[in-house]
Amino acid sequence: MDSHQSEMVRITEDSEKISNNKPENGFCKTGIETLDEKLGGGFPNGNAVLLVGSSGSGKTTLCMEFLINGARNGERGVFFTITEPLFKLTQNMEKFDFYDKKLIENGMVNIIDLRIISERLGLDSEKFSAEDASALLDVLKDIADELQVSRLAIDSITALCYRLKSDEMIRDFIFKLGSSLGAMGCTTLLTSEIQPVRHGEIKYSKYGIEEFIADGIVFLGDIERKGDLIRTLQIVKMRGTSHSRSKVAMNLSSKRGVEITPLLKSRRS
Amino acid sequence: MESSLIDGLSERISQASSIYSSVGVVLPSNNYNDFSHAMFEYMKTQKSITWVYVTITNPFHGIKKQYPGIIDSLNIRFIDCVSLAAGIKSNDDLCYFLDSPSQLEKLTLEILSFIKESSRDEKSVVVIDSLSSLILYNDDLLVTEFFSHLINNLNLVNAHSISLCIEEEMNDMMHKILYLKNEKILKIKESFI
Repeated sequence: MDSHQSEMVRITEDSEKISNNKPENGFCKTGIETLDEKLGGGFPNGNAVLLVGSSGSGKTTLCMEFLINGARNGERGVFFTITEPLFKLTQNMEKFDFYDKKLIENGMVNIIDLRIISERLGLDSEKFSAEDASALLDVLKDIADELQVSRLAIDSITALCYRLKSDEMIRDFIFKLGSSLGAMGCTTLLTSEIQPVRHGEIKYSKYGIEEFIADGIVFLGDIERKGDLIRTLQIVKMRGTSHSRSKVAMNLSSKRGVEITPLLKSRRS
Repeated sequence: MESSLIDGLSERISQASSIYSSVGVVLPSNNYNDFSHAMFEYMKTQKSITWVYVTITNPFHGIKKQYPGIIDSLNIRFIDCVSLAAGIKSNDDLCYFLDSPSQLEKLTLEILSFIKESSRDEKSVVVIDSLSSLILYNDDLLVTEFFSHLINNLNLVNAHSISLCIEEEMNDMMHKILYLKNEKILKIKESFI
């Protein structure tokens, strides 16, 4: 049995012990009512979803609200940060009313600095070998399993992929991560950092691989209107649900968190 | 003379808004101040209503200075669309300051949020002052789309609206949408005044 086959066997075994806190209707609600409606109920349970956007598009905030709303509903979550130190992340999140410190303190939402984990694993080289990647993957799965989480976010998968040597390794890593967590009944958000869209040319990921492996793609962008940037959200792909593909306007409110509303599209030709 | 003029206008607003859920008001710019005064006098008599006042014509601090006694006595929240865009820094618990009058989606969200925050037993009325001023900052087609969405949403939550339009700022598109989406149009003419 080669390593890929043995991995598939492990995934099948994992699927037999699907977490009990899996929502019964098969959807993992974001808790943002209007977004759940657009998704046709929420993210399909166990999906690995790529949250794509340039800097300041709201990826981190959406991930955190997804975890916090889940925790309020009794679903445990974990947030792996790679791009921001913990103190900065929590400092930024404290500006939002939805951010409930108690849920962090009581372990319903766990925030973990993945760089520290990598260091502890001795993965301090610029590029990971296949063994390094496999060790990191095991740690991520073990943490998810140990904490019994049903929601997980990695911010960002781009920063993590940067340390993988080849396209094949990136493909393999995301596939195995998504499959294993999905089999555990864990719904995963992977943020993907891209450059701002110019001349209508959209790329969903830095390496051009991530979007093909993910079960879903939610694109966070912006449009310019009279010099103002209006945040937008569009569900490009979501396996397992009949979802809207309309581009909607998104707002980040310190009081109400992420909110979406129809984007005004009228324009003189 | 002035008092009876304000009373007369106030009475017309009262009659229309007690019957219709969406009222459009078209008035010449010369009479804007009188109408504004009449509007606040009318609001003063309706203390049980939750008011959401969207100002695009004047900055909030100007309105507050003009009608201090009235504003303090009302259950009212303001959304000021022009102060920040004009570089006027303000902070007031009664008012939300929108970055720019071209952020129409955000404006819809703020209006609906204020209504949702209010008690369900209370009637809510949104005053747009003025719809025609929005086309100074936006494409007129976009403003008509915004207004159409807003009225549909307000109907859903049983909120009422009074939308002002300055005659000189209006174009055909604005006329059409105002007549289409409002149940009642009040046309204020100088001859009446």
